[in-house]
Amino acid sequence: MMRNNRWLFLCTVLISLVLLAACSYGNEETTTTSADSDRNSESGPKKGGKVTIPIIADPTFNPWHPNAYAESNVINRVIFSGLTQPGKDLLPMPDLATKWETSEDELEWTFHLRDDVLWHDGEKFTAEDVAYTFNEIVLNEKLGANNTSNFRLLKEVQVVDEYTVKFLLEKPVAALPAYLSLNTEIIPKHIFEGKDPWELTSFNKEQPVGTGSFKLKSYTSGQNVVLERNEDFYGDTALLDEVEYKVLADANTHVAQLLSGELSIFALEDLSAIDRIENAENVGIYARETPRFFWIIANQEEEKYQDVRVRQAILHSIDRQNIIDTVLKGYGTIADAGIAPALKEYYTDDVTRYDFDPERAKELLAEAGWKDTDGDGIVDKDGKPFTIDFKIGIQGDLEAISQMVQQYLKTAGFDVKLNAMEWNAMVQDVVVNRNYEVSLNWWRYPSDPDLSAYFHSESVKGFNIPAYKNPELDKLLDAGGQTSDVAERQKIYIEAQKLMAEELPYIFLWYPQEAQVRVDKLKGVPELAFGDALNYIHEWYIEE
Amino acid sequence: MYFKSTLPLLHIQGGGDEVLKFLMNRLGQSVVLLLIVTIITFFLINLAPGGPASTMRMDASPEERQAMIEKLGLDQPIIVRYFDWITNAVQGDLGTSFTSSEPVIKRIAERLPYTIELTVFTILISVFLGILFGVLSAVKRGKAQDHVINFLSVIGLSLPAFWLGLMLILLFSITLGWLPSSGVGPRGADFDLMGWISHLILPVLILTTTVLPNIVRFTRSSMLEVISQNYIRTARAKGAKESVVLYVHALRNALIPIITIIGMLIPRLLSGAVITEAIFGWTGIGTLIIEAARGRDYPLVMGVTVVITVVVVVSNLLVDLLYSRVDPRVKNV
Repeated sequence: MMRNNRWLFLCTVLISLVLLAACSYGNEETTTTSADSDRNSESGPKKGGKVTIPIIADPTFNPWHPNAYAESNVINRVIFSGLTQPGKDLLPMPDLATKWETSEDELEWTFHLRDDVLWHDGEKFTAEDVAYTFNEIVLNEKLGANNTSNFRLLKEVQVVDEYTVKFLLEKPVAALPAYLSLNTEIIPKHIFEGKDPWELTSFNKEQPVGTGSFKLKSYTSGQNVVLERNEDFYGDTALLDEVEYKVLADANTHVAQLLSGELSIFALEDLSAIDRIENAENVGIYARETPRFFWIIANQEEEKYQDVRVRQAILHSIDRQNIIDTVLKGYGTIADAGIAPALKEYYTDDVTRYDFDPERAKELLAEAGWKDTDGDGIVDKDGKPFTIDFKIGIQGDLEAISQMVQQYLKTAGFDVKLNAMEWNAMVQDVVVNRNYEVSLNWWRYPSDPDLSAYFHSESVKGFNIPAYKNPELDKLLDAGGQTSDVAERQKIYIEAQKLMAEELPYIFLWYPQEAQVRVDKLKGVPELAFGDALNYIHEWYIEE
Repeated sequence: MYFKSTLPLLHIQGGGDEVLKFLMNRLGQSVVLLLIVTIITFFLINLAPGGPASTMRMDASPEERQAMIEKLGLDQPIIVRYFDWITNAVQGDLGTSFTSSEPVIKRIAERLPYTIELTVFTILISVFLGILFGVLSAVKRGKAQDHVINFLSVIGLSLPAFWLGLMLILLFSITLGWLPSSGVGPRGADFDLMGWISHLILPVLILTTTVLPNIVRFTRSSMLEVISQNYIRTARAKGAKESVVLYVHALRNALIPIITIIGMLIPRLLSGAVITEAIFGWTGIGTLIIEAARGRDYPLVMGVTVVITVVVVVSNLLVDLLYSRVDPRVKNV
């Protein structure tokens, strides 16, 4: 009948449209690859090609903006430059600054700058830009710029001449060159001068101007950022044509797109996907060291955690290797003090160890007065059971790890209540209001062993969240932070590590390794964690 | 059955004056509704623990935090902040997003078209297929077609959208490589028709499963009720062809309540869009409000809420107007 034929016809048209779309989508992939392979007849780094990196949210193209988080760092690191950058051994090496020296008393640092640097809009980079960045942005407390706590001892930056600046400090800061290498990029004075740096959306959200090896080509909110090679880059011109950052909020999508060839490289957050990736062709997984450590903190304002034997008992109760093997799929090494193996110059493993030893934990607790007197499986003292209010934020593996920790602690005789909170809420409770007993998290720090910000008694209002106060440790940290003599610092930090391992200001868990996933055709990526490898993106290339 | 007609408003008999009165009444109701929604939302989001993401960073010093709080005006009492917001909002200024320092209106305008794209296609397909299968189901009542359609409807209603979405991505994007796993596809200069369709297929499919079963079942029962009416028997007795009976007499009358149902499904569609957009990385206002809530971007959350409420109110109004045109027994205008 007529009517039936009409429906049939319509359905056929719809279905064929769908099939056509599906076919053309599949074909896209093959046509591009065959064109590329025609070009590469010789071996060695070839110019051309594109790299695709996932980010989880819209970025802000201003390294100092309070809203510039991880997704912005991976872009800003490429389009902007700092005075120094992390070397392939993580120690600071020249970037915009060619060399630097200190005065006798180490209160003045003179940085000599390159004279061949152009901003992406063609203007010349000079000492004025450095002075502006630090004096007007970093040192302006009202602005609340990112990452400025490293510079609280900086008084001002003086322009000596067109290509020389002086950093004036209140106290010596040996880590200054290291601080200048991480998320401390210089922004252009000629664009920002006289304007509110956070409201300048024409720069921050549309058209940033930097000095890096790539510059912005296009940005579509919620979709992607595309960078193109900066032909006027002061260093080696990049080999890749373009870098694309795709905005993909869901981490599951990252793995899916890696396997379908739409993404090139990133650091894997969800380690349970490792098996799927290992079985895939064209994709590899690489274990990389990062200067990060996972820790448990016990609030030192709470009496029961002030006894070091209690902290030691907690650490002896946890089978860290097992957690590393199961949750982290082996990507980590046990930590005994807060300086990560990635800092090869300063790290030592000659410190007190805490093997998984529940018996020893019981002994220590007994020495501290905690015994299970009523046989209910929970240790007690003066009639009160040892309850632990364990608060964590839900992010990455933290919940899975904390659940295992809870089990181990329960076996050891602690009554643990695990409160897994939304991340934002956790930060307010634990970090801002210090309303917690025990928490679990991690720190990442620039490639310098000076951890005063996290361990010094003066940092209690800052990042010393457990509120740990030890004058002996303070002395060591002060000494180490104020001299730049490497041999001197090595001695000091070895002693500091021994002390930290004995005293457990943070209950050290492990140094995680990054599981970096990368398509095989992407080459030239140095053996560094993904974030640090981005500093060398001009060396990356594609080889089919 | 025709529950809309129990609302007193709809019994106003026709005339130009009455149109105006109806619309004014509606406007008044909508304003009150909007006000209540904004108050509830504002207090809910502000009372959620934590604060704007920029103030809630692990690596922010207390000074940085305080500076940010003052800059964003969060040190003021909540009632003062609500009044500031509402007085600006009624003048058309929805404020500045905390997370991007751009005007809220700009952020919404960037993303809204994508959600509209998704929902329009879903409505078109769902209405077309819904009526088709609903009629088929009613006409072949009790037979194989009816059972199959009913079975599929129940499955469609029961399967959670996020699970189904992930399964389809696993099948079509990863295993078969036929369809993209996420995103809206290249736009602007690089726009490509086939690429666009391939990106639309899965999200529209998922979103359709949230509303299609309802339309099918409702059409079916509406159709069944109409078919059993006297005038249908009369038409058949007069010797009219079966297809005329079905499509001219029955369907037209059955369609009336279906229009209502579609109006009621619009809020369901919008909330389903939030989940679908999240799974497929579809950059519409669904993903926008998720980001805004996570980052406690208060102005953006308020802005999106206002927009969504207006959309729901306007679409309900349109449905009511359409309904009164179609059903001569009900006169709004």
